[in-house]
Amino acid sequence: MILTFENLSSNMAAARRLKRVAISQPGFLTLNPKVTPTDLVSSRRKRVNKNKKKNWNKYSDVQDVEEFLEDLVNLKFCFLCEEAAEPVKGKKRKGKSSRPLRIDLILQHDSLVAPPKDVLAYQKPNAKKLRRTAERAEKLAANGVVPRSKKRLLNRTVVDRMSKKTETEANNNPERDFYDIWGQETKDLGEPWYLQQTRKKLVKRPEKLNEKPSVLPAVEVIAPGGSYNPDFFSHQELLREAHEVELKKKKVEDKLERQLAYNKADTATEETILREQVEGLVEESEEEEEKDAPKEDGEEVAVGAIAVADKKTERQRKREKAEKMKEQQRLTERRQTEQQQQLFQLRSIKTSIKQQEETTQIRQKRRKAKEEAQKAQPRRLGKLKFQPQDMEVQLSDELAGSLRQLKPEGSVLMDRFKSLQKRNLIEPRERAKFKRRLKVKYVEKRAFKEIS
Amino acid sequence: MGGLQKKKFERGSATNYITRNRARKKLQLSLPDFRRLCILKGIYPHEPKHKKKVNKGSTAPRTFYLLKDIRFLLHEPIVGKFREYKIFVRKLKKAYGKTEWSAVERLRENKPTYKLDHIIKERYPTFIDALRDIDDALCMCFLFSTFARTGKCHVQTIQLCRRLTVEWMNYVIASRSLRKVFLSIKGIYYQAEVMGQLITWVVPYQFSHDHPVDVDYRVMATFTELYTTLLGFVSFRLYSSLNLVYPPKLDSNGESEPKEESEDDYAMNSESYLEKLSALSASLARVVSSADEEEAQLDQFPSEGEDMEKMEAREKELKQQEAQKKLFEGLKFYLNREVPRESLAFVIRCFGGQVSWDKSVCIGSTYDVTDETITHQIIDRPSVGKQYINRYYIQPQWLYDCVNAKILLPVEDYFLGVTLPPHLSPFVEEKEGDYVPPEKLKMMALQRGEKPGNEQEEDEEEEEEEGEQEEEQEEDDNGDEEDDEEEVAEEKNLKKMEEQRSQGKSLHVKVTPGKLKVENKARLEQEEKAEEKRLAIMMMKKKEKYLYDKIMFGKKRKVREANKLAAKRKAHDDSEKAKKKKARK
Repeated sequence: MILTFENLSSNMAAARRLKRVAISQPGFLTLNPKVTPTDLVSSRRKRVNKNKKKNWNKYSDVQDVEEFLEDLVNLKFCFLCEEAAEPVKGKKRKGKSSRPLRIDLILQHDSLVAPPKDVLAYQKPNAKKLRRTAERAEKLAANGVVPRSKKRLLNRTVVDRMSKKTETEANNNPERDFYDIWGQETKDLGEPWYLQQTRKKLVKRPEKLNEKPSVLPAVEVIAPGGSYNPDFFSHQELLREAHEVELKKKKVEDKLERQLAYNKADTATEETILREQVEGLVEESEEEEEKDAPKEDGEEVAVGAIAVADKKTERQRKREKAEKMKEQQRLTERRQTEQQQQLFQLRSIKTSIKQQEETTQIRQKRRKAKEEAQKAQPRRLGKLKFQPQDMEVQLSDELAGSLRQLKPEGSVLMDRFKSLQKRNLIEPRERAKFKRRLKVKYVEKRAFKEIS
Repeated sequence: MGGLQKKKFERGSATNYITRNRARKKLQLSLPDFRRLCILKGIYPHEPKHKKKVNKGSTAPRTFYLLKDIRFLLHEPIVGKFREYKIFVRKLKKAYGKTEWSAVERLRENKPTYKLDHIIKERYPTFIDALRDIDDALCMCFLFSTFARTGKCHVQTIQLCRRLTVEWMNYVIASRSLRKVFLSIKGIYYQAEVMGQLITWVVPYQFSHDHPVDVDYRVMATFTELYTTLLGFVSFRLYSSLNLVYPPKLDSNGESEPKEESEDDYAMNSESYLEKLSALSASLARVVSSADEEEAQLDQFPSEGEDMEKMEAREKELKQQEAQKKLFEGLKFYLNREVPRESLAFVIRCFGGQVSWDKSVCIGSTYDVTDETITHQIIDRPSVGKQYINRYYIQPQWLYDCVNAKILLPVEDYFLGVTLPPHLSPFVEEKEGDYVPPEKLKMMALQRGEKPGNEQEEDEEEEEEEGEQEEEQEEDDNGDEEDDEEEVAEEKNLKKMEEQRSQGKSLHVKVTPGKLKVENKARLEQEEKAEEKRLAIMMMKKKEKYLYDKIMFGKKRKVREANKLAAKRKAHDDSEKAKKKKARK
């Protein structure tokens, strides 16, 4: 029982004092004055086996524990509200407990000399200065001047909140605000070298990047025949153009078909099938012999070519060398005479030079014209060539009589996309094909199997 | 032989270019991110002159970029943002996989974003640069604003595009800068003159949602991202140039205040303001409420000769423009529900007209059908129930044709149920000698101030006009011939006299009363000029003469072709007329 009490009381930090009292006394002391320890011990004892849990539950007396717990609660309540428990304590403190604890006595100061006064507790190292600054601050505050540190603090908080907000705002926020981006001059925050090294200054954009890659206008207006209610002739003109485009496409297709077509003569007839089946069974000895004959000749020729030439004699070599020298001399002489002769050909040389220059000029002009024409053309920027979109055309019977009945032809989105490609802003691409990694397996379910 | 052997592909064009994949690796970006970066920064692929040299001996088709461009990209701060975003997506995926919803929420809150402001400033150093490139931006924004709010792109982007396009239209209205409109089968082409720049854009018809599959939406969305930013800054500048409040506010004390009745059931509170703006029926608030804008007058400089002529021409043009700006001023339009409201309202308001519609069609209608002061009702159906006597019932094409002709065309051709005259493209400019359709000729005559007759005789008149023109031409030719004849006759007389003199015969001299020779000064001048020209041609060098002949031949051929077309047209018209007559009988 004491054990339980101990456990319980150890949980309560507030009841530490009580615990000490309880331990110091021989019996069990309750806080309730009516109950004495003698009451608890019953005169007539019933013998019970204590090694059975059943008996514990039945015969052990828990009332005292419960009462104690109740008291504890009361006590705590008392402690909290007032020193109501004082009279109770006073009763118990009659004997030894009124004396101070020995441990306290040991720790007590027993020297007769008074301890020196702690000067630092009363003195501050720069009290005068601090006092003055405080006075000044008060004065300034009275005048409404905010000290710098406080100001900085205030500023910082404001800036932080703002930057956070701008950071989280998305680029496509429909309520975003715009400002005069071209009007305000960017103020230099410091040394250019510092800005560059800390990446605060952006690298200057090369001038060449501002050139447009094509001379074509951004918006190409449709031909007058593309009006919703066109003039007869312009409409016919547009139709003719569209027709020509279609013809060209057809021509390409036809060509491909022609190239892919098989030769009609190559189809198997009964005769060819029969010949195939009989191949090798019928003797064709004569033809074979004829074929063999030229083959042998060829082999002989090949062998002859490989034959190694004889070694040259010393004389032969010397003669060859002399001949070579002679030839060279002859050529140099000839060159010299030619050069001398050119003096008399000055006029013809001049004319020929003139002609050459003219031809080069013509070529240059042509090349320049070609380059100019190329500027408007889409370039080859990737795997695929630029494919112009289909022409938007409405046939004569498709034309609407009024704006209400108009059926729009083609799409502006496609037009814009193709325009970007045509102006070399993006490369023509094909949509990535969806590739299935695993094969699909088709299984007929049983339920369907029964039906079909 | 001294020196080290030169290695191939270590200098020259091979080192100036870089393939796309290598560039991508250098920047440590995925392909979509790389593509996005290139679009945003305005760096485009190049086609090298010698592909084989650049491609290190291989002829495989590849995409090349200039190495310097890619080096420039390395400095871009957005690259870092792209990498951050990649990490963000990875973390988010992981959190989702682990079903850690609080982590998901936290990550979402700190989603990395980026701004394109510095890129705009860098790519377009001045405002005019930006304005020159605004065509694309407008087209893209108008296109995206018509998209349905489904999964094709972010709803926010669509909303932003809508807002920007509305702002642009309001600016064009406020500055009265619309010049041309063309209704094509693809969409509506507009042209405006803003700060001296001609800006063309195309708007798709409403509700024509046909999403083609072979368009890369991601690329288009990236372009739109850039262009929305650009358009926003441009419109801010434009608004401030006109002293308008930005973001635009409706003028609260304007004379035409939209009714406030049906607002609540039309749109949500958050949206209704934009809707009211996009109705285009009210004018915008100004920063400084100016009473009347001072009309800018062209400064007069003392000038001589050619400059004078140029100046006069310019003044004339300016006057015409001013007149065009006030084309619909004082007119009151009412739009029936079957006509394209936005386009028509935009065009009418651009030229100073007042416009309204049924209040169930759209927010912001200013007056009802029953208003007696309405002058024109735009209608596109075969018949109407109740007609008011003091207004014209016309088809919508009239408005567009008026804008293109820069005058108010006669309304008779556009009445209800009448077969409309063709809608000609205002973007075609005919050169001398080109075939000009008769409708355009008529329009040009109207512009010059000539008046056609009544509507019944119109067709005949038209023919007559054509006939007259032809006759005039003939007359001119005849006149020349006559002159020649006269000269010939005089010469003959003189010759006779000389002959007689040489024969020694005495001339019998007689004095006859002289005829007063009427000298036509203009004619003389013309003759002189013609003579000078002929002499000049005679004096030409052989080379020049050859060229001149060639040019003249080309001109004549053109004229011949145009005449042929005109004759064809006449034949066509005649046959049509005959058909009509038959049908009538």
